[in-house]
Amino acid sequence: MTKSVGTGRAAHRVLAGVDIEVEAGELVAVLGRSGSGKSTLLHLLGALDRPDGGEITVGGERLTGRSERSLARIRLRRIGFVFQSFQLVAECSGEENVLLPTRLPGAPRGGAARARELIVKLGVDPVAERSPHELSGGEQQRFAIARALVNDPVLVLADEPTGNLDTTAAGDVLRLLRDMTERGRAVVMVTHEPEIAAAADRVLEMADCRLG
Amino acid sequence: MRGVWQEALRGVAQRRGRTLLTAMGIALAAAMLATAVVVAYSLHTGFDRSATRADLPDVIARFDEQPLSRVEPRIRALPGLAAASFRFEVTNISIAGGGHSSRHASVEVIGPGRRGFAILAGRPLGARNGEVLIEQGLARSWGLHPGSTLHMQALGAVRVVGISESPDNVAFPLAAPRVYVSRRSTEARFGHEADPDVNTAELWVKDPGRLDEVLVQARATSYGIRGLRFVTRAGVKILLDEAAGIVIALLVALSAIALLTASVMLASSARAEVQRRLAGIGLRRALGATRTHVTLAQAVEALIVGVPASAAGVLAGTLLARGPTDRLLEVLNEIPPGSALFWPLAACFALTTAIPLLAAAWPVWRSGSRPPIALMTGLELRARRIKEGRSHRLPRRRGTFGLGSRLVTARRVRLLSTLTVLGTSVAFILLMLALASELGELASNPAALGKRYQLTAALPASSAPSVAALAGVAAAAPRYEVQALDSYSLGETIDVIGYPGDHTVFEAPSLASGRRLHGPHETEVGLGLAEVLGLRVGSTLAAELPSGREARFRVAGIVNSLQHDGRVAYVSAAGLLADEPAAAEQIAIRLRPNADRAAVTAGLQALGATPVKTSAAVGTGQTLIDALTAILRVVAIVNGLVCLYALIQALVLTARERRATIGVLRACGAGAGAVRVLLAGAAATVVLPAALAGVLLERLVLGPALARLAAGYASLPLGAGASEIAIVLAGFAIFAAVAVIWVARLSVAETIVGALRG
Repeated sequence: MTKSVGTGRAAHRVLAGVDIEVEAGELVAVLGRSGSGKSTLLHLLGALDRPDGGEITVGGERLTGRSERSLARIRLRRIGFVFQSFQLVAECSGEENVLLPTRLPGAPRGGAARARELIVKLGVDPVAERSPHELSGGEQQRFAIARALVNDPVLVLADEPTGNLDTTAAGDVLRLLRDMTERGRAVVMVTHEPEIAAAADRVLEMADCRLG
Repeated sequence: MRGVWQEALRGVAQRRGRTLLTAMGIALAAAMLATAVVVAYSLHTGFDRSATRADLPDVIARFDEQPLSRVEPRIRALPGLAAASFRFEVTNISIAGGGHSSRHASVEVIGPGRRGFAILAGRPLGARNGEVLIEQGLARSWGLHPGSTLHMQALGAVRVVGISESPDNVAFPLAAPRVYVSRRSTEARFGHEADPDVNTAELWVKDPGRLDEVLVQARATSYGIRGLRFVTRAGVKILLDEAAGIVIALLVALSAIALLTASVMLASSARAEVQRRLAGIGLRRALGATRTHVTLAQAVEALIVGVPASAAGVLAGTLLARGPTDRLLEVLNEIPPGSALFWPLAACFALTTAIPLLAAAWPVWRSGSRPPIALMTGLELRARRIKEGRSHRLPRRRGTFGLGSRLVTARRVRLLSTLTVLGTSVAFILLMLALASELGELASNPAALGKRYQLTAALPASSAPSVAALAGVAAAAPRYEVQALDSYSLGETIDVIGYPGDHTVFEAPSLASGRRLHGPHETEVGLGLAEVLGLRVGSTLAAELPSGREARFRVAGIVNSLQHDGRVAYVSAAGLLADEPAAAEQIAIRLRPNADRAAVTAGLQALGATPVKTSAAVGTGQTLIDALTAILRVVAIVNGLVCLYALIQALVLTARERRATIGVLRACGAGAGAVRVLLAGAAATVVLPAALAGVLLERLVLGPALARLAAGYASLPLGAGASEIAIVLAGFAIFAAVAVIWVARLSVAETIVGALRG
């Protein structure tokens, strides 16, 4: 994959010929400094952005060349995203945030039951009715993870999932990511902390716009 | 100061989308205000402006034809008289020109002295023979101009040398066409008269405040002059001004609403923008910018956007309203305000520039009292979060649609202001439609005036039984009508209508108070007359009849009548004929349902009369109705645009503030359709309550309030009907759909990654 940002003289390359393959059940960590392009890589893998060149395939479905509508459908059914700053909707309770993807047109059936199951499993059932600002950072991240998993995706992408958490909460999140792989999902996590990356099955370092 | 300018310009350049939206709002608010101001100011000041320009006399005295030598000395002897001139008015003269003709022209033969009308084009009557002046209504309707030829009964072909205007009457075709001829011209044609006849005197007094004394003296010295009737300048003003009274009142109210809605829209938009930029403002202050500097930068930015937008809005509103307003003024024989509109429009411009300026600068100035670090770390945001905490306890709406609704309700102040703008706009649009519909009904349906007879026939009273016996005729009776003057102020003309029996068989305007008349000494007066003269049930109406005699009637009831602006009095025929034996008579004919009109017409023709269909309120006044309807339409269109803007603004602000939320939804798999559903939920939360509030406001408050305003004329049912409500709701739904689709396109055009950054 290649990707540049900016136009004209301000244009600069962020990804220069990156190749990555992640197997089902594998937890891959992408390590790199700020601005190294690791978040851009995650956005491309998650169909949030389009590469300038190259091909991306998720669960056997090619992302390249698809319409925005088709990409939205793939995001809905095949990909789960865990954002760095949780990105919970302030007007919705924790549980409603988890339910959001299940209520989108085209979502797989059984979303409500899966949401409940995930909330119980992640241990946030007692605080499910609370608003995001009434939750701790760890609780918010658990709801964010539950939201990423609720439509049963094959690929989970986590952008600095422990970035805003203390050590204990970060450990909990890593255990949750590991748990996802045990259920057959592929997980790609980007981080700039080597000790967090060490928990992954495979660590890829991003430098000079390439994966090492 | 240079730094402030540079910062402001940079701000405008960086936020082009928001700048455009704000500019649109300012322009629309300015257009709305300017439209209302142009119409209200033009109509409100029209008469005085035109009267001054035309040098309208303070009193016009009309009397039966008299030699000048008999009238002039008495007039000249009046105390406090500044000037007087004399005319001879001849009616029902045939004229033709420009491919048109009329047999009802009024020709005024004018002598030397002040003339009491303005010359709009061409020149005054000169020394040459065969020259005429024509009034502007005639010139416009027939396409005549200085240099055109007019053919006149008795005078033959004459040359139009000028176009005149005088606000002492409405223009052709509402009134008979008026032509002015110099006495010299008629003398050249008919021979010199040493002592010409006159029937009109125009009087200018030195002190209009002492006009009453002049009139009393004039009446005292009028012995021997028959048919004397006075019309004062104030009386003409009342008649003409009140014709547009409802429109002016409506537009003054609209101006106030426009200002309110503009303030709410612009202030909420500016507040949201400042709220969004507080962190940046805190950072600039942390870097050393003073409170004055950041406030000035904000104010200058608001000016850069506001000045051109407000100017464009005022210009657009003026251009939109000028056409129909000028047409209405022409119909009323009044001149447009021209440059006199400058200051009112400048005030509109100043207001619509100042409101967003203050709305933008004040929150920044106020935020300056807080430490920069508090702004940078989101002091305001913390306050907002507490509200958000409350919001989740609202009834839960499921799904993306419900989420959209919740995003809007989270900003309660903005929601309330948007609801206010939309609700009042819906109410006003409904009111305009109800008024237009009522105008159409009054213009076309005589029954709307309480007239129950369908035909009249010029037959003597003795023919009534023969007419009543015709097949298809339900009832027939003589109808007498004279024009009288109010004996006290001499400025009010009254239509006195008499029937020999129960007048409600033929004319039954509803009773506003009191009861129906009984006997020859009682009357039912129109609300318009009652309001002008301060009459109540039990008062006495003193009317000066054409014979010169005064008739007095006790007011038994007050009726809702639109005829002659409600300046009517129903009396018994016996009471009227006792003082005015020569009152004009005709037979009023009420037909049976499904009567064969052709058979009735044939029967009437056999009796020697051609029946005339009963006319509605305006009869020949379609031009006036058209002008009023055009004004109502312009106001409704501008109002509709304000609705569209308010909706778009509410959605854009929601979408802008919730970029991250929309980004998360899209990252979770929401396509363009889901974003539209989200925004539809937001729009529905605003539109549905606003529509309901607007309908209720119109039906329960504005409609009845305007109907009370119109009470001087008649009882108008101004509550919007089902069809009007359906039209407005459908329009509203379309506006909402347009706003949702447009804002959804803007949201989806942004990259998800960009949206997630907020």
